[in-house]
Amino acid sequence: MNETFVINIGRQLGSGGRQIGEKLSAEFGIGFYDKELIQLASKESGLGKEFFEKADEKSSFSFIGGLLGLRTNINNEVYVNNYLCNETFFKIQSDVIRELAGKESCVFVGRCADYILRDNPRCINVFITADTEDRIKRVAQTYQLSLDKAQELIVKTDKKRAEYYNYYSNKVWGAAGSYHLCINSSVLGMDQTVAFITQFIKQRLK
Amino acid sequence: MEQKDLPIALGTEKIGKLLMQYAIPAIIAMTASSLYNITDSIFIGHGVGALGISGLALTFPLMNLAAAFGSLVGVGAATLMSVRLGQKDYDTANKILGNVFVLNIILGLAYTVVVLSFLDPILYFFGASDATLPYAHQYMEVILLGNVVTHMYLGLNAMLRSTGRPQKAMYATLFSVLINIVLNPLFIFVFKWGIQGSAFATVISQTAMLVWQITIFSDKKHFIHLKKGVFKLQRKIVVDSLAIGLAPFLMNAASCVIVVIINQGLIHYGGDLAVGAYGIVNRMTFLFVMITMGFNQGMQPIAGYNYGAGQYARVTEVLKKTILSATIVMTSGFLIGELFPHAVVSVFTNDKKLIDLAVDGLRIVFIFFPIVGFQMVTSNFFQSIGMSGKAIFLSMTRQVLFLIPCLLILPTLFGVKGVWFSMPSADLAASIVSVFMLSSQFRQFKKHAAAQKLESL
Repeated sequence: MNETFVINIGRQLGSGGRQIGEKLSAEFGIGFYDKELIQLASKESGLGKEFFEKADEKSSFSFIGGLLGLRTNINNEVYVNNYLCNETFFKIQSDVIRELAGKESCVFVGRCADYILRDNPRCINVFITADTEDRIKRVAQTYQLSLDKAQELIVKTDKKRAEYYNYYSNKVWGAAGSYHLCINSSVLGMDQTVAFITQFIKQRLK
Repeated sequence: MEQKDLPIALGTEKIGKLLMQYAIPAIIAMTASSLYNITDSIFIGHGVGALGISGLALTFPLMNLAAAFGSLVGVGAATLMSVRLGQKDYDTANKILGNVFVLNIILGLAYTVVVLSFLDPILYFFGASDATLPYAHQYMEVILLGNVVTHMYLGLNAMLRSTGRPQKAMYATLFSVLINIVLNPLFIFVFKWGIQGSAFATVISQTAMLVWQITIFSDKKHFIHLKKGVFKLQRKIVVDSLAIGLAPFLMNAASCVIVVIINQGLIHYGGDLAVGAYGIVNRMTFLFVMITMGFNQGMQPIAGYNYGAGQYARVTEVLKKTILSATIVMTSGFLIGELFPHAVVSVFTNDKKLIDLAVDGLRIVFIFFPIVGFQMVTSNFFQSIGMSGKAIFLSMTRQVLFLIPCLLILPTLFGVKGVWFSMPSADLAASIVSVFMLSSQFRQFKKHAAAQKLESL
């Protein structure tokens, strides 16, 4: 496998997607980009990190959110760009993703990377889910929350990720048709799931 | 709005130069829009008479509402379009264009059908009297029949802007104004079509531009063009466009409601000519406000980018320069309105009574203009640095929040003058609020900058 390739990981909160991504990047010896993208986007554009963080994988598209979010323009006829908006941050981040994918093989977590790189023939798009119980336990542990709060966070985060993905991509978040492989990490457990995905990737790239 | 790559010049070029560069196209375009209404008023005023202007003035909220609906789709779709173009997703981008086309046809026809069916009751509610109703009705009839054209023209203009052809959009606006200026006197004075002539002129000028826009978008050589298959409405595009466009639409609708309330007050306490006088004053206000809004639009990318990059000194500088420019514009308006009101109003009408009322009104409404510039820029400033909530609040203080109580209370004390006084009162109150909010914001900036210095130690 001399040419570069890209692994894009979509994931439900608490499904272990990030961990799987890290293990895959270690397995193949390639770069891993999750929240690191924010730092890169900030550096590339000169805009503050906090803006990318606030816009990261969530977008307020409900009425109130759109009203108060970084998107609303109160003018009807807009002749000039307002660069301080979510769409700009997305574009900057997407440019960073394209640049990285052009230079080296990498793993991207979330952020519509699969859509952004849709023209790249050597992409493998994976979506990670897990049993609800496992997800709640994992989130409760990682974020130090009660089980109830963990469940709330899961519902909220998944909703935001779906809105973000559905808005910026032309696909549907979590739908089988949007990915090459959808897998429930609870079935085989973390290590075996990584092995399974690795095998899938190796065969795909032949 | 094309989602080009960030121009780094925003962070390095001289602020004054940047402001002119960004503001001037916006000023030209927005002033052209306001000229549209001014020319209609002028020709109707001279060709149809004082009652004609009053009738026309009644229709302003309906026309603004129609334009607001027209922009509802365009504004939202333009944002979606720039995302797609930024990702070179031309398939979806073309579908957005097609959807805008179809959606505007649907909304345009719906608006026409609904408003036409209830036109007279609506006009009476807006402040029509038996004397002014026929004028307003005749004018609106034609405008409503051509409403689909208006919607599509506005929508396609937004598409032109977001697909990297803002100059063409500007030409479309300019030419439609020019055609309107030529056709108005032709239809009113030569063909003697009365107030309907003006309406026909408006519709025909927009139709002409629509045809031009459609030709542009039929050019298969451009990557965004109309073709088979893009016209099918897609739920995602429709819902997202409407969601994005809803906020500016509501702001627009709110100001329409205000005009209705003002007209109701004027007809109640002052009569038909008072309504006509406000129509004239409103058009003049609009002209200066549009120029200021052009400066506001110019400020947005500069303030936004530099705020994002943490260059607060440049943010402050562009804010100051924009406030200065806006104040100069609005103060010029103030001087013209206070020193030469007779000359200004006579452009619109010869009727002595109407002139007197309009001159009085003009002098009252323009009183606090020198500080309104500051208020408008401040509101837009918050918009530019991402604080939409504050921006909307400040905008509402001037246009709605203070105005409504004034409109309800002052006329009961001062009669028709109370209606006129409401506007500068709201201006003043809103400006005071802006001062507080802006200084509070700057105190936060200083704290932030100080904290940054500590962090970097």
